[in-house]
Amino acid sequence: MVDRTDDIFSVRDILDSQLETSDHIEIGRVADVAVELRKDGTLVMTHVITGPQALAGRVSLRLKALFRLVLRDRFEHHIPMNEIKKFGPTLYLRGKAEQYAAGQSERWIANHILRWIPGSGNAKG
Amino acid sequence: MWKKVPIYVGFIILLLMTTSCQLKQPSFSITAGNIGSAFAASETTLLYAHEGKITYAYAASSFDNFQSELNGADQTIAASQGVPAASTMRQLLSLYQEAMRAVNTPCLNDTCNWHIQIAALDRASKAFLKAGNS
Amino acid sequence: MKKQKEQHEQKNQWLSIALGIVTATGGFLDAGTVATSGEAGAKFGLGLIWAVLVATVAVILLVEMVGRFTAVSKKTYADAIREDFGFRFYLLPLTAELIAESLLLAAELGGIAIALSLLTGISWHILFPVAALLVWILTWRAPFDVIENGPALLGLLTLSFIAGIIALGGIPFPVLTTLWKPSFQQGTVTDYLYLVAAILGATISPYLLYFYSSGAREENWTGKSLLLNKVTAIVGMGFGSIGSMALVVLGAIVLQPLNMTSNTLGELGLAMAKPFGIIGSYLFALTLFATCLGAALEITLALSYNVAQGFGWEWGEGKKPVEAARFNLVLTIFLLVAVAIGLFGIDPLQLALFASTIIALFLPISLSPFLVLMNDAQYLGNKTNGRFTNIAIICILVIAFVVAIISLPLEIISGGG
Repeated sequence: MVDRTDDIFSVRDILDSQLETSDHIEIGRVADVAVELRKDGTLVMTHVITGPQALAGRVSLRLKALFRLVLRDRFEHHIPMNEIKKFGPTLYLRGKAEQYAAGQSERWIANHILRWIPGSGNAKG
Repeated sequence: MWKKVPIYVGFIILLLMTTSCQLKQPSFSITAGNIGSAFAASETTLLYAHEGKITYAYAASSFDNFQSELNGADQTIAASQGVPAASTMRQLLSLYQEAMRAVNTPCLNDTCNWHIQIAALDRASKAFLKAGNS
Repeated sequence: MKKQKEQHEQKNQWLSIALGIVTATGGFLDAGTVATSGEAGAKFGLGLIWAVLVATVAVILLVEMVGRFTAVSKKTYADAIREDFGFRFYLLPLTAELIAESLLLAAELGGIAIALSLLTGISWHILFPVAALLVWILTWRAPFDVIENGPALLGLLTLSFIAGIIALGGIPFPVLTTLWKPSFQQGTVTDYLYLVAAILGATISPYLLYFYSSGAREENWTGKSLLLNKVTAIVGMGFGSIGSMALVVLGAIVLQPLNMTSNTLGELGLAMAKPFGIIGSYLFALTLFATCLGAALEITLALSYNVAQGFGWEWGEGKKPVEAARFNLVLTIFLLVAVAIGLFGIDPLQLALFASTIIALFLPISLSPFLVLMNDAQYLGNKTNGRFTNIAIICILVIAFVVAIISLPLEIISGGG
């Protein structure tokens, strides 16, 4: 496995990496990154982005625009870089799964769709 | 430019598929061979059922599949490429009708006359196989 | 104390090999391979055995590679494709799998239904939703062990085919000569080439790789599991191959003399009924049931694994459905799609052959990531491919390309076999 002893990354190391929370839940993959041009001329990566619009943007910008029209940024999630504890093919996050909005569709599906199916293991259903 | 490669590949595949579809007029010998084999399989299935080598349930299920394989085959073969003389076709089709009576209502108990059905299936199978090979 | 525990775990892993091996047969033998094997034997005698052998060698190599990859890197095949090639490239094998495997899944469900139909006499159209429900219940709640071992144990019945061949007096010499001189009385050259493509497509199915890779994670294989992986790949796929070849032989010695070409699944069972009577027909139907069930489970899971891993969601049979919600939802949707396809009432055998052709068409896309990944030290450390295995991948890819180009036109010209 990768042993990162330097602090220089390429975007390729971060894009498509798995996001795993501190309670070992996998909440998604990095679809895109947000960068900021600082006053001192450096380009800094500030957030990793997950969500269908960002994914669509990887295929084509027109598709991204279409997705934005329909989804209106409701499923896009920006996670600040300082939330990442450890880098590698898997990015380990500091917090637990429920602290990140990125995994919310998982919980929504569990609570609203799967609970009606017998044997889903839902405590409420 | 290379971004468009998947599109080109997809287009070529589509082109291949559509042209091949137009080429597809099943040839007479292939269709005749298939029909002959299907009747042979029906014959053996019926025979084994009455020899106690398979259960009637197994045979019934098999005939279900033979029916879907063979129903409509007379139209397919009439429309195929390389159809032989009209008199040969007439004979084949009449053997087909006779054998299809057995396929659609196979005798799967001890009361009906299954020997007649075997004979019909045998005649049809041999005729179609011969026609397919010539 | 820790070393003792480790040794105990290793012993358990070797226990699982017996069952893991037999599992591989569910991936090798399925409605597609049963269909192509029987037809190959009935039409060309033993003239297509070489294709089965080539496919076996290819699949053993691929399975060993994907198992080694996952054991060392702890990443599944789908994980690696997304991470190493990016999302856009990942969409290619994903789309290919979604199309091809949905069709094949419908065919496998049909295979289960036909097997049950042969046993009960009830129409397979009615049993089709029953088959889908059975597969759903198992993938929804059953732990990975049960999914792996249940159908696999039943799959041991494949050995009965060999007993059948022996009971029929073995292979007569004239049939044996078709090994190097295929008989063309029941089929044309186009048929022959089409079946070569179909055999390769039916055997080298990418779903097996996605499933095996994810299974290695479900079983927590590590760098220490490499020998286990090798043995499982060779013996497992070898076992499946023997079953497939046995069906070719049965087709050759029973069906061909009777002018049957194995266009329906039930016909092949007659080859077992000849020596063993009703028991023989039951053995065939049960084996068909076991292999199609195993295949249906593996395909359903492979597709769901692929999607969940590619998009980075929680996945796994060891978790309750709510703990891997998107994975289980996707699984359920796939089965519904397969049922919808099945409602068109297409004969499962024809559907299996067609699906195998589509799989063959997309093989280069599904397999080409291997060449890169198996040489990536970032994932594999010092366990990357040697020169031999790299040459092997290239050969397999060349075969895959050739098969991909010729398979669809051939299927259409030959009238779908």
